[in-house]
Amino acid sequence: MDTSQLLKGVLDLAVLAVLRTEDGYGYDVLRRLRAGGLDEVGDASVYGTLRRLYNAGLLTSYVVPSEEGPHRKYYSLNEPGRQRLAESGRTWRSFAHTLDDLLGVVA
Amino acid sequence: MSSTHTRAEVQDYLDRMRAALADLPDVEISEIMDDAGAHVVEVADELGEDFSAEALTTRLGTPEAYAHELRVAAGYPPAASVAAVAVPEKPVFAARFAFWALVAGTAAAFGMGIGGRDGFPLALLVAVFVVWAIILLNRKAELIGQVGDLPETAAVRSALEQAEQGQAAKAIAYLKSLQPAWWLARAVLIAISGLVLDGMSPVFLIGLALAGLALVSGPKAKEDRRWLWVSLPAGAFAAGVLLYILGSVIPNGGYSRSSQDYIPSRPSLPNNIYVFDQQGRPLTDVYLYDEDGQPIVTTFYGCGRPGPDYRDRDDNRYPRPRVDYSDNGRCEEITGVPFAVAVPARPSSPSASPSGSASASVDPSGSVAPPPSGSSAPPTVPTSK
Repeated sequence: MDTSQLLKGVLDLAVLAVLRTEDGYGYDVLRRLRAGGLDEVGDASVYGTLRRLYNAGLLTSYVVPSEEGPHRKYYSLNEPGRQRLAESGRTWRSFAHTLDDLLGVVA
Repeated sequence: MSSTHTRAEVQDYLDRMRAALADLPDVEISEIMDDAGAHVVEVADELGEDFSAEALTTRLGTPEAYAHELRVAAGYPPAASVAAVAVPEKPVFAARFAFWALVAGTAAAFGMGIGGRDGFPLALLVAVFVVWAIILLNRKAELIGQVGDLPETAAVRSALEQAEQGQAAKAIAYLKSLQPAWWLARAVLIAISGLVLDGMSPVFLIGLALAGLALVSGPKAKEDRRWLWVSLPAGAFAAGVLLYILGSVIPNGGYSRSSQDYIPSRPSLPNNIYVFDQQGRPLTDVYLYDEDGQPIVTTFYGCGRPGPDYRDRDDNRYPRPRVDYSDNGRCEEITGVPFAVAVPARPSSPSASPSGSASASVDPSGSVAPPPSGSSAPPTVPTSK
């Protein structure tokens, strides 16, 4: 099964999740997702998702000077973002549970 | 690590990326380029000695592909020019152009109709696509056959045939019987829209001529498919006008009017905001909200370490500190207001006269409500801090 299709639906949740404990700039988020096992996630998809979540009011952003290289824009979960993460997390768990049950019948 | 040579190539990549996003609002583009632009620079640095334009493209894809992927993920509308950039296959190129020009011309005509007065600039787009395609079709007689052989035409045809045999068959047959009436109605709609737009003027006469053309194009298109290039845009335009009229008659008949409505952009603000009171005294710690009571937040520029320093700040509190780099390169956040202003004197202030309080409360013509008991209180001494 093509995981990139699955990923499209849950990238929001994944991005919110990796920002839960620590703020991050775009490349940070990308690395955390990849380190977490989402190897196939596209660079541009992550940046696009960050923009969408920010525009939806789920993230705040701030710019911090960096010693090496360009200034970095960090993204941080705000309260609506944390709420969305909790909701989407619940949705995901119940969905995954449902599918597990279905697969249990098949396998 | 980044020599001037690599910088030029990185810049070229960024320029192409920006060009592929050019139809988005400016604020959004600059935010994206802040983020993703920094990413491209970082990736280029990581490549180090192996850096080349090819290596960058291998790692990230072409700038256009990168921009496209980002657009999809961010939920922006697809680039407006996609339809116009046809695949340059030699034998079918002209046919493919004619087909997509019909699609684009029809879509633009619909947008022009539904946009009301705002849709008028789209007329140029319609004219370019439609006229160009018609010229092509008339210059080469075999072209219309080639259009018929295109895979996209075949897809449309089979979709139509399926619809005619499917569950909606009766409805479609009924609609077909109404076709002549629709041809007449759309001619009237086109003529009316010319009149509404500009009264009795050359525009109206052009509208009248186009209405006549539209009227003829309906039955003609049955025999000569080339008339479709007139008939379909005319129908789409008339349908758009009809929806526009219905939309302005029926309250809240909401539909999105421009492509920019898709983007829930936050309001664009300057980097900082300074507020002064009536006496020209600077106000600090001002909280800004929009008309819906939503806090007006913008990206915060600061010196702190990423993380808790920035967590749960009031992002709608202004003015923001200014970020400054002293001579030794240290980052400093400077609070306060960097300038003074002369607040323009108000021409007539109801609370200006010290003895006005008694009469103001009685006088019914004094409709402006000054802050209550402003003059009865002892004059306050401006206290800074």
